[in-house]
Amino acid sequence: MTNLLVLKERLKNFYGRNEIYITPALKFILAFISLLLINSKLGYMSRLNHLAIVMIISLMCSFLPINIIIVIAAVFSLMHLYALSLESAAVVLVIFLVLFVLYFRFSPKDTVVVLLTPVLFMLNIPYVIPITMGLIGTPASIVSVSSGVAIYYIFDHITTGVATLNASESGDAVAKFRFVIDGILDNKTMIVTIAAFAVTLVLVYFIRRMSVDYSWTLAIVAGGMVNVVILLIGDLVFDTNSSVLAAIFGTVVSIGLVMVLQFFVFNVDYSRTERVQFEDDEYYYYVKAVPKIALSTPEKRVKKINPQRTESNGAQRTGTNTSQRTGTNTSQRTGTNTSQRTGTNTSQSAGSMRTTSNITRREDILSKK
Amino acid sequence: MLNEDRIILMTHMASYEENEGRKNVAIGSYFRGDYIGLQLLKSVINFTVAFVLVVTLVIFYDFGTFMQDIYKTDLMELGKMLIKTYLASMVVYITISYLVYFYKYNQAKISLKNYYNRLKQLSYLYEEESRK
Repeated sequence: MTNLLVLKERLKNFYGRNEIYITPALKFILAFISLLLINSKLGYMSRLNHLAIVMIISLMCSFLPINIIIVIAAVFSLMHLYALSLESAAVVLVIFLVLFVLYFRFSPKDTVVVLLTPVLFMLNIPYVIPITMGLIGTPASIVSVSSGVAIYYIFDHITTGVATLNASESGDAVAKFRFVIDGILDNKTMIVTIAAFAVTLVLVYFIRRMSVDYSWTLAIVAGGMVNVVILLIGDLVFDTNSSVLAAIFGTVVSIGLVMVLQFFVFNVDYSRTERVQFEDDEYYYYVKAVPKIALSTPEKRVKKINPQRTESNGAQRTGTNTSQRTGTNTSQRTGTNTSQRTGTNTSQSAGSMRTTSNITRREDILSKK
Repeated sequence: MLNEDRIILMTHMASYEENEGRKNVAIGSYFRGDYIGLQLLKSVINFTVAFVLVVTLVIFYDFGTFMQDIYKTDLMELGKMLIKTYLASMVVYITISYLVYFYKYNQAKISLKNYYNRLKQLSYLYEEESRK
């Protein structure tokens, strides 16, 4: 555990110092994976199916705001759908527009969920999303999670029905419209998944806010279990034909992933190096503010004590002669009289020494009086 | 002369202005009524666009039947029904918008209060220096 905490501290320090490179790199990876998955799932427009194009657009995305990645991914998928059939592209465009116009002006930060949900569906671990959003979001995130689920199932419906869309190529646009919209409205698997994700998200949110120990871990595990149960019930009641084993396995993996995220990402203040410019009447300031390291990684120091002296001076005191103490809670303490303290403890002892000296000084003054 | 306290304070403020403060400063330049009113006006426009899009989709979905029955249907009745649906759903959307922007405005004001306190502190530091 100590090693993990140290690793977390090192990650935090590394991010604090190199945020300027890490954030664009993460944006690039997100854009690259998303566009590759869109190409592999839809991929009807051969012009967009080149690795070079994906690479160039992802590189562009790494320097643009994150919401632009969503817009580009939406445009990518619309172009693929347009190559397949105009009608399906039109239906999906209307859905995208309604979502952007009505919902995302309220919470632009949630927009990335709409992209991440289909991406994680394609990687078979979509259950990460409702648990994560329950942990870091609010119940209002149900809208964005549900939209992501709906978009995945719409794409899935279109890709499975390519034959139908191509067969009615003679020009029966209304039939194509009907096919796409019916696929959205009658998709029981989609409705069950949206319900399961919504319940999971709300449950995780409320457990996480409870004032009990390990509320976050409890919320993650309970959310994962409830998600599986609802998917199973949905499968039994609505006969959704979804794979139960895949759901269980996916949930277990998702719980593990969220645990890792919880430890390394959430609840950790990844304060970054700030570079700001300002001026007053006299100077122009170009300031680089680097975050201070709150916890120190352990410095291994071994103090050797003469065994003969230990025997003569402290016969009643036994235990190991060497110990290390770091500022973290998980540091090991051994029953010893030679423990070393680093970090804030030193300042506390210094503080207490100062107080003692103050008291003696006051006593001196009083005695003089 | 360079004043370390002042530079730290100014750095914090500049960082706030560049990040989360940017939107809050923009929101804070409005009175509450003006800000919420403007956002509600945007909501009305956005909702109207979304409603038109959805209605168009519904018409296209049932385009054949719609064109067949267009001479039989009472267009006034259809219009009334559409307007009623539009107004009812608009009221729901506007209420949600009002609550969201009311909350956003209050949050921005709380955040800005802290910023203004820092501004006061900064001006106090300047005054102190000029006295010296």
